[in-house]
Amino acid sequence: MKEAMTTSIGKSIKKIDAVEKLTGKPVFCADFGFENSLVLKVLRSPYAHALINSIDTEMALKISGVKGVLTAVDIPGKNVLGIINKDQPLLAENKVRCIGEPVALIAAENEEAAEKAMAAISVSYEELPAVFSAEESLKENAPVIHEKGNLLAKKTIARGNADQEFQNCAAVIENTYTTSHIEHVYLEPDAGAGYVNDDGLLVVYASTQNPHYDLKEIISLLELDEQQVRVIQTATGGGFGSRLDLNLAGFVALALYHLKQSVRLIYSREEVFLATAKRHPLKITMKTGADKTGKLLAIKARILCDTGAYGSYGIAVAARSAVHSAGPYSVEHVDVESSCVYTNNPFSGAMRGFGAPQVAFAYESQMDLLADALKIDPLEIRQVNALQNGSVTITGQKLEESVGIGNCIEAIRSHYKDACQNQFIKNTRPYQKRGIGIGCMLYGIGNTGTKNPASARIEIDQEGTITVFTGCADIGQGSTTIFTQIAAEVLGVTTDHIKICTADTKFTPNAGATSASRQTYISGNAIKQAADKMADTLLDQAASHLNADKANLILTNEYAVITNNPDKKVSFSDLAVSLHKKEDDTCWHGFFDPQTTPLDENGQGAPYATYAFACQLAIVSVDTLTGEVNVEKIVAAHDVGKAIHPEQVKGQICGGIAMGLGFALMEEFEPGKTISMKDYHIPTSIDIPDIEPIIIESNEPSGPFGAKGVGEPALIPTSPAILNALNNALGERIYSLPANLERVLEACIKSGNFEPKENDNE
Amino acid sequence: MYNNQIKISLKINGQENTVHAPPDISALALIRDILKLKGSKEGCGIGECGACTILVDGKSVNACIMLAAQLDGREVLTVEGLNNGEKLSIEQNAFLENHAVQCGFCSSGLLMSTHALLSENPNPDQNDIRKAISGNLCRCTGYHHIVKAVGEAAKQSAGDENNE
Ligand code: FES
Ligand code: FES
Repeated sequence: MKEAMTTSIGKSIKKIDAVEKLTGKPVFCADFGFENSLVLKVLRSPYAHALINSIDTEMALKISGVKGVLTAVDIPGKNVLGIINKDQPLLAENKVRCIGEPVALIAAENEEAAEKAMAAISVSYEELPAVFSAEESLKENAPVIHEKGNLLAKKTIARGNADQEFQNCAAVIENTYTTSHIEHVYLEPDAGAGYVNDDGLLVVYASTQNPHYDLKEIISLLELDEQQVRVIQTATGGGFGSRLDLNLAGFVALALYHLKQSVRLIYSREEVFLATAKRHPLKITMKTGADKTGKLLAIKARILCDTGAYGSYGIAVAARSAVHSAGPYSVEHVDVESSCVYTNNPFSGAMRGFGAPQVAFAYESQMDLLADALKIDPLEIRQVNALQNGSVTITGQKLEESVGIGNCIEAIRSHYKDACQNQFIKNTRPYQKRGIGIGCMLYGIGNTGTKNPASARIEIDQEGTITVFTGCADIGQGSTTIFTQIAAEVLGVTTDHIKICTADTKFTPNAGATSASRQTYISGNAIKQAADKMADTLLDQAASHLNADKANLILTNEYAVITNNPDKKVSFSDLAVSLHKKEDDTCWHGFFDPQTTPLDENGQGAPYATYAFACQLAIVSVDTLTGEVNVEKIVAAHDVGKAIHPEQVKGQICGGIAMGLGFALMEEFEPGKTISMKDYHIPTSIDIPDIEPIIIESNEPSGPFGAKGVGEPALIPTSPAILNALNNALGERIYSLPANLERVLEACIKSGNFEPKENDNE
Repeated sequence: MYNNQIKISLKINGQENTVHAPPDISALALIRDILKLKGSKEGCGIGECGACTILVDGKSVNACIMLAAQLDGREVLTVEGLNNGEKLSIEQNAFLENHAVQCGFCSSGLLMSTHALLSENPNPDQNDIRKAISGNLCRCTGYHHIVKAVGEAAKQSAGDENNE
């Protein structure tokens, strides 16, 4: 294919907001405040399931410095939150469903007064029986958590006849896999602030992944209209899904509404742990069958997702875990059911991958087991089954183009061969075992089979300054930087000529959530469309200015230039002046909503307009006396369509791998036990191996300059690659994540590696 | 109110400063809330994440688990003291050029650990670098570009010294 010449796309320019962060500017919410801000604190339930008989705030209100104590009765509008299904109150009404559920909001002049008020509020609870496992919760006599029942959602994918097809298989593997609650641990604890301006506008600042959603929830809670509230995203220190919920902007807004005074709310790390969403723990029973060449014939899966007390993104996790349950492979006969269930655990919500990382652990373990049963090389069995252009997915969607899984696998091949050849040579120490593992994945970009558009706007002022307006929240991944690249490329200017205004509901159009790896693809397209329209107008204008044929003009370096006569040109600022003079439009809108169809009752449809693919190789060594695992190297090939900013893509890949390594080996949030960062460990620089990211570009025709997405795909293949490598090292498979010291040691003992045999000649 | 306060004299980012503060606040609270230097961050408050890393007499410490009083008579460097106005320090520039910033919440702490490393060991290898920054958690980057940036900063500062 011919490489198009680009000026900005594919260039790793400096990140737009890096300097202010590197010089310690006060850009995060906890770094700034407004005059005389009141301190907010949230009183939370100590019970997992209880009725609230009464809340007495009288004593608290008498404490000097306390300005207000607000409870559910103070919410003028609808006290219910949720982006997909609405089931979660901002402040508990007459029942709490998990430990940490907010019950009252305190506003005080200082921390001490707020603390005293917390202690002085008396809540009369009546404890109810609680349930902490999804399986128990579905039983007939289980405590009822929500009136509509404990099953939140069930998603089915039915195609062909899996049960029958298993009889034609040369090998059938069936196992149950489990994963844990996971905490996001974005490094910046949640923070919010706000004030009421002279016109009575409530101005809310928050670290968030979706300011427009926050606005919608706030106006519904307070029964206000859109013009009465403004939400501004501050610099956000990571999100990974958790800041898609209304974590604290609702409290800030409620306090502003009643107290008309500036406020601030900063969570401690302990409160972040207690109050915010977790990754859904999944229990996956999977049966996979293949013929003797390794070709997958049938898959059956029963998936149980624990969504805890509230829905949050639970329905999306049920859908995504089902849709992604076969991985990047073709299989004709499919019988998958994924159920999402309420329990009295902390609520589970969105976290990088929405169920896809959990099911990847299952389907990729199954692939290795099939390879072993059929005596086929693990890399080969994946290549045999890999989707290709023209393949049909388990939802019946024909993938026309940009199916890069085959190329990802090929990119790993030489590294894999090398590793296989070197593996045993380096097996020198008696209590050390080394292993190699592969993990592959596919990931649908954007929301599952529902509308998820983004809008954008681009303007040029009298001086010719170009500004992009997007509601997209950059939470560190770098969307703001790449949007300037997209606009600059279209308009023939360098990126420093593009100004950008982001994530402020007063000025920017709705771009939807920074989630589902969707912003590069969806907002990128919206911005490109707006820029294309602007370029078209500029060219029209220039054609009449220069008395030239529009077809012979190009935009370059802030000029419209006649291609074969570069001296004849007109500057953007001159064009802007004449547009403004004529009162022509100097503002262009872009809109993009990916082409999808909803899933029908059999889970058939085209839920995503495009998919990302990846293959990763992990090399591990295990100390068989201690169970300690050292991940020595990861090679990661990712099909991103087109890397608009290659180093940011690599940054996503490496960051995803770190999170995937934590998911595989060490991270587990135990409700009620995990309190602080002392109890929850994420990978440090020593835990992370040398990573070799490889970018595969399979050009997505519907993407901006061919781009898809990479944020979530980065993490998904890592845990299966590591777990397969562990099995390769020990000859014993682990079916529950994390594969922590105890589980690895148990596998060492079971496999006989704990006591190396005398004449072990490996 | 002032009776409860103690007097702390310190040199911070090259400037002598005397402040009055409650005796029980942390060094981080002193720096952020009283001196209004917001570059040092609070990620955990219990010494686990390194977002609050500052240098005290050239040694890197977690400001969140140090008492403000312990800064009395000491020389403190925070991220704000690295750059000279617009001119970024070698570490800051290396982080910028090597794409080591994603959300940036960990960056100030990492820069301070880098600064301490380079003053102790001008030629660190990969392992030295990984060890030196192991107390600074980063959830976004997987440390790949950070390790690279620290290596580049080391090369750069070694080069600078040779020029002198
Ligand atoms: S805030 Fe000091 S170590 Fe985390
Ligand atoms: S860049 Fe986000 S924590 Fe390091």
